[in-house]
Amino acid sequence: MTAPTLPSPKSEVFGGGVPKGRRGWGLDRRATFWFIYLPPLFWLIAFLVMPVLLMAAFSFRPDMRGDLFQIRTPTFSQYASVAATGSYWRLLGISTLMALGIGITAVLMAYPLAYFLAFRAGTRAGFYLILLLIPFWTSYLLRVMAWKILLGTEGVINSFLIYIGLIQEPLTALLYNRTAVILTLIYVWIPFAALPILAALQRIDLILFEAAADLGARPYHQFMRITLPLSAPGILAAFFMVFIPTVGEYVTLLLVGGSRGFLYGNIIQDFFTKAANWPLGSALSMIMLAATLILVLLATRIIDWRQLFE
Amino acid sequence: MKPKRSMLFITQGLMLALALLLSACGAAPATAVPPGELTGSLTVLDWAGYDAEDFWVDFKNTYPKVTVNFEIGSSDADIYAKMKAGDQADIFHPYTGWLQFYVDEGLVEEIDTSKLSNWDKVPDNFKKIGQINGKQYFVPWDWGFTSILYRTDKIPEGVDSWSALMDPKYKGHISMWDDGPGAVTISSYIHGYDETAITADQLASIKDEWIAQRDLNLFYWAGEPELVEGMKSGDVWAAYAWQGAYATLLGEGVPVAYANPKEGRNSWVGVYGIRKGTKNYDLALKFLDQKLGEATGNNVVNMFYYGDANQDVMNGITDETLKKAFSVDDPDILNKTNFTPNLTAEQRDAWTAMWAEVKAAP
Repeated sequence: MTAPTLPSPKSEVFGGGVPKGRRGWGLDRRATFWFIYLPPLFWLIAFLVMPVLLMAAFSFRPDMRGDLFQIRTPTFSQYASVAATGSYWRLLGISTLMALGIGITAVLMAYPLAYFLAFRAGTRAGFYLILLLIPFWTSYLLRVMAWKILLGTEGVINSFLIYIGLIQEPLTALLYNRTAVILTLIYVWIPFAALPILAALQRIDLILFEAAADLGARPYHQFMRITLPLSAPGILAAFFMVFIPTVGEYVTLLLVGGSRGFLYGNIIQDFFTKAANWPLGSALSMIMLAATLILVLLATRIIDWRQLFE
Repeated sequence: MKPKRSMLFITQGLMLALALLLSACGAAPATAVPPGELTGSLTVLDWAGYDAEDFWVDFKNTYPKVTVNFEIGSSDADIYAKMKAGDQADIFHPYTGWLQFYVDEGLVEEIDTSKLSNWDKVPDNFKKIGQINGKQYFVPWDWGFTSILYRTDKIPEGVDSWSALMDPKYKGHISMWDDGPGAVTISSYIHGYDETAITADQLASIKDEWIAQRDLNLFYWAGEPELVEGMKSGDVWAAYAWQGAYATLLGEGVPVAYANPKEGRNSWVGVYGIRKGTKNYDLALKFLDQKLGEATGNNVVNMFYYGDANQDVMNGITDETLKKAFSVDDPDILNKTNFTPNLTAEQRDAWTAMWAEVKAAP
């Protein structure tokens, strides 16, 4: 393309189908396809698909005894023991509901942020975006630890409330419970959730608003008929970006959750790191994977369904 | 350009000399190499913090040319799982309770104690801890107590039993270690169960006991700094604790005491094992021998406030805080102490699952 006089040595290597006399650097379509997709495909197969398959295989082992990578007669004993423990299922339900709530709240709070950046910030949008991303320069654990300083009995919030005389004794209900977990996770996710929404909003052609205004649509209607539907993919992406990792979240809960803050992810983590019981941990993971997949499929089904009505 | 003939001659001569030198080295027995010249590399799977040079300083000084690499394990279960999955570390660092499976699964090599120059400084009761099925598979290294650590200003009446961790008086101010076998141990002490033969019924009642305890418990601590922080801030009044936390808080002037419960304290011992099939067996033995060295032991005592298996190190303690932490002046303390017995694979699975169910309970 850029140097049409040169022959294309690569086309010889990357397979036939290149007509003789064709010139330029361009690879043929198939070669390009593999050239671009092979590395990520390899990466995903090696580091996502294979581990998941391995974990699935582990979940059918009776215990940790013997060679870990040797094939043994599969057994459903791990699934049976999970099935018999009602508290695990309850926890899976709570984890899912919490992730749902955190996902929705984070998206609701991220949307105005993204809207501001896309339509109101003007030339300073880039600067504000950097401000939004500044927390990511600090380690995730440190940011969660900071919440301990805010919420602790001798923490910032309690000290302030005592100082202004609103309370005499520090509130112990702030830290080490699920509320603290929800607060912290929403905080952590808002900037993340804002990014896909921002990307979706920035793609909206501003001419659409002019056209709508010409036709007499008020800002509210413009938002409901143009902005919201066109940013829906971003909203959905943001929601799942928050929802999926939150279902299996365990670190934040360990730090601010207290004795009653444990969720499904903690149980899985425990069986891997505290119990050396990979088969049971794997079975629990597979169940969570299945539950999340089903929910995501259901959700996308519902969204498609709505779009049919539009 | 061809090299000149004379140059070629010199090069060949040098190569010949080098080859001779190398073969000479290979033929000589390994012991003939002075320690300072010994080369090689070792990989140690250890806990975070123990990778600091202070904790293998004798080896570093004696064998400066040997490279020591560290891998970090986050818990006994983590270290066991890593070794089980084929980790190539030459040396690993488990604690009492978690030793039997390494032998059962053929993951650990027997220790040739005749090659350990510091071995006779280790008291017999510690040596026994490293013996499984009558053979010395592990070298004991660090040890400490587990007891109830409490704030003397918040609990002026003091604590004299493990059941303090389940006392409703301290609701919201108790912190238990996040560990199933640890919970079973405490319940066994309180109820006088035989820890090595817990029945299914006993395990069920232990589970209920800890589910009830959860409402009194502020948080389950995973690492000592977390516990120290909680006690310092005044949120935690009574906790399951190792004496490292006790010594740290004493050093910071926090009013704390370390109970002598009527059921007895618990004690744990950290040991080192050598991976079965390692090509560096001799070097690993040298490493473990130097681990028992005095400078290393002094660092364990003074920096981590844990005991050392080398008795000379313990006899040399003069610091009052440390003497208190180890109860050095109480000649009867070890008789009143319960050492953690080794878990079987079934107990490990049952007790850890029990604990997961405690935390998952509604």
